[in-house]
Amino acid sequence: MIELFDVTKRFGDETAVNAISLRVAKGELCALVGTSGCGKSTTLRMINRLIEHDGGEIHLDGEPVRSFDEVTLRRRIGYVIQSTGLFPHWTVSRNIGLVPRLLKWPKERVRDRVEELMQLLGLPVAEFADKYPRQLSGGQAQRVGVARALAADPDILLMDEPFGALDPITRATLQDEMRALQARLHKTIVFVTHDMDEALALADRLVVMHQGRIVQQGSPIDLLHEPANPFVESLLGGLDRGLKEAALIQVGERMLPFGPRLLASERIPYGASLSQALSVMLWHRVDRLTVVDEEDIPIGELSLRRLLGAKAP
Amino acid sequence: MGVNRQSPNWVLLSLMLVSVVAWLFLDALNVAPNRIVPGTPYTSLEVMGGWPALLLGLPLLGVAVLAWQPSRKGLQCSLAVVVAVLMLLPLWLAAATVGFVDADAPQARVGIGSALWLLLFLLLLAVIELRTRLGVSRAKGWLLFMPMLASWWLALTLWLEPLALVREYRVRSDQFASAVYTHLMLVGAAVGVSLLLAAVLVLVMRRQPAVRRIGFAALNFLQTIPSLALFGLLLAPLAWLGSRIDWLGNMGVSGIGWAPAFLALLGYSLLPMVRNIFVALEEVDAGVIESARGMGMSRRQVFVQVRLPLALPVVLEGVRITTIQAIGLTAVAALIGAGGLGTFIFQGLGQAAMDMVLLGALPIIALALVADALIGALSERLRLGGAQ
Ligand SMILES: Nc1ncnc2c1ncn2[C@@H]1O[C@H](COP(=O)(O)OP(=O)(O)O)[C@@H](O)[C@H]1O
Ligand SMILES: [Mg+2]
Repeated sequence: MIELFDVTKRFGDETAVNAISLRVAKGELCALVGTSGCGKSTTLRMINRLIEHDGGEIHLDGEPVRSFDEVTLRRRIGYVIQSTGLFPHWTVSRNIGLVPRLLKWPKERVRDRVEELMQLLGLPVAEFADKYPRQLSGGQAQRVGVARALAADPDILLMDEPFGALDPITRATLQDEMRALQARLHKTIVFVTHDMDEALALADRLVVMHQGRIVQQGSPIDLLHEPANPFVESLLGGLDRGLKEAALIQVGERMLPFGPRLLASERIPYGASLSQALSVMLWHRVDRLTVVDEEDIPIGELSLRRLLGAKAP
Repeated sequence: MGVNRQSPNWVLLSLMLVSVVAWLFLDALNVAPNRIVPGTPYTSLEVMGGWPALLLGLPLLGVAVLAWQPSRKGLQCSLAVVVAVLMLLPLWLAAATVGFVDADAPQARVGIGSALWLLLFLLLLAVIELRTRLGVSRAKGWLLFMPMLASWWLALTLWLEPLALVREYRVRSDQFASAVYTHLMLVGAAVGVSLLLAAVLVLVMRRQPAVRRIGFAALNFLQTIPSLALFGLLLAPLAWLGSRIDWLGNMGVSGIGWAPAFLALLGYSLLPMVRNIFVALEEVDAGVIESARGMGMSRRQVFVQVRLPLALPVVLEGVRITTIQAIGLTAVAALIGAGGLGTFIFQGLGQAAMDMVLLGALPIIALALVADALIGALSERLRLGGAQ
């Protein structure tokens, strides 16, 4: 659990972070969003004390971060940044094994752990272990960055725009993997991004920052329904808000099981989002879709009325 | 490849045309009966009936033609031709020397004329140009010079005794060896000590911004003093120290000799060294340092395991520049009696004996090239970070 109480940071005359309070529960993924320069990275870095806060308190599991030795503290917290920060003169496996080696794990245990993580992140050991960072694609390098952060199995993960430098397709892939990973590992994660779609897709809790302050926080759905002010509303997509919300809801949640009469001509997997279902309807100019499971077997029906959230006729 | 018309390689083309013109029309040799009498110049066409000269010029014209529409094959061919001509030059010189110098003129000396020097220089440039075009690796590139060195060595040991340069060397072979030794010692000491001093200085500068400002200002100022003036400035205080403090005097510290030379070299070496080490350490990718700290490496660990190894290639670059600069400056230090290869240059200038000047200058150029190659190769290795 991470708690910030009235935390403030000034650089000279400029207040980068202004009295923010925040609580990230254990196992929760909290996304910090906001325009660039609003203090997201500064907030993140104060948690692992790369930057010391000027006012307020930061607690990890109830203890102030200042009560820990900073080096010990950081070894307990995974840290991933946009530029990956991989050591260019070390191989992939050596990069991943960094923190375990700092913690003086025995050699075999480090090696086993590195291989385990490479498998977890879809990096075949035989192919990648001895490569150098410059031989990797952007997506591969960021996978290594995430593996390195997870190496010593920290409870807390701090991620600063980890997928910000990747092309849209790679980014979407890594977001999916990230979601799957989090479903398995239940880390407490603070995730900085300026990409609202990414935040909506990944976050349990969304924190919107503006000029060093938190302007609103809550679940993605809550924020979409009740943005606190026009700034949050525009950040959340303005007129596109309906589609963004629809992107968060699965077809399976709205479908009518065991469709009646005739099968509709177009199909949609039950795991697809409502916005995708709407897109299919628009494209084919139909108002009914057959919902199918992974094996393409029809299991229900989604009508436009149900998609819109109305009760079945 | 293939179908497309390539634009001419103007560099190669002009190198070749100038080479041929120089080779055919400038003086190739200069023959004098002894050291005092000025010699008679000969062009290459006047030597051995001219045929060998034309035969040597023809392949170069061929390369010029190939350069008009360069293909990879053509460039490879050109490289082979240029290397072969470089190899033949000393043999041509040997043949000419043997033909020219009578057995009954034991004092006769053969000087190398401007045509030969120019040809040598232009062809070496051509090798470098071709090497770059063909993407030959550094190590393999050096192998290209081997046939030439071998043939020079052969010619010098077997036939080129009458060469003025060789004659100058023969009378001073002991002096030459000790000059090379002194030169290397001065350069080595200046570079070594400045590296250590610079490292310490940079470590302090990184901590203290005030020291940084003053340090760079002082070093920049030092760099602007002309070398002879600096030697002059050091003369009085060192003479005084040497005469007052016995053990310094016994070490040979005085206003002239190795002590002021060493100090001046040290002064000049310090700025490039400090600047490179400083920049090298500062320039390491901020993201890498941030993640190193974020992962929980201590300050020491970040410095020793990350910052230093990543900075090392740039540091070596500084060592390379400093070494080459010091090799040149040490030549000037001969003026204040520091010894070294510069001695021959200044004595030669005094006696208007160009060949003696060359006896000093050529090894200095060779030393600089070798230092450049060795340190450059080392830095390239480190830059690869052990990959490949
Ligand atoms: N080390 C620093 N020194 C001075 N100013 C800083 C420093 N780090 C950040 N800032 C300033 O603090 C503000 C917030 O920065 P940051 O947290 O990096 O923003 P974000 O990550 O949201 O884009 C910016 O105005 C930035 O210029
Ligand atoms: Mg940022």
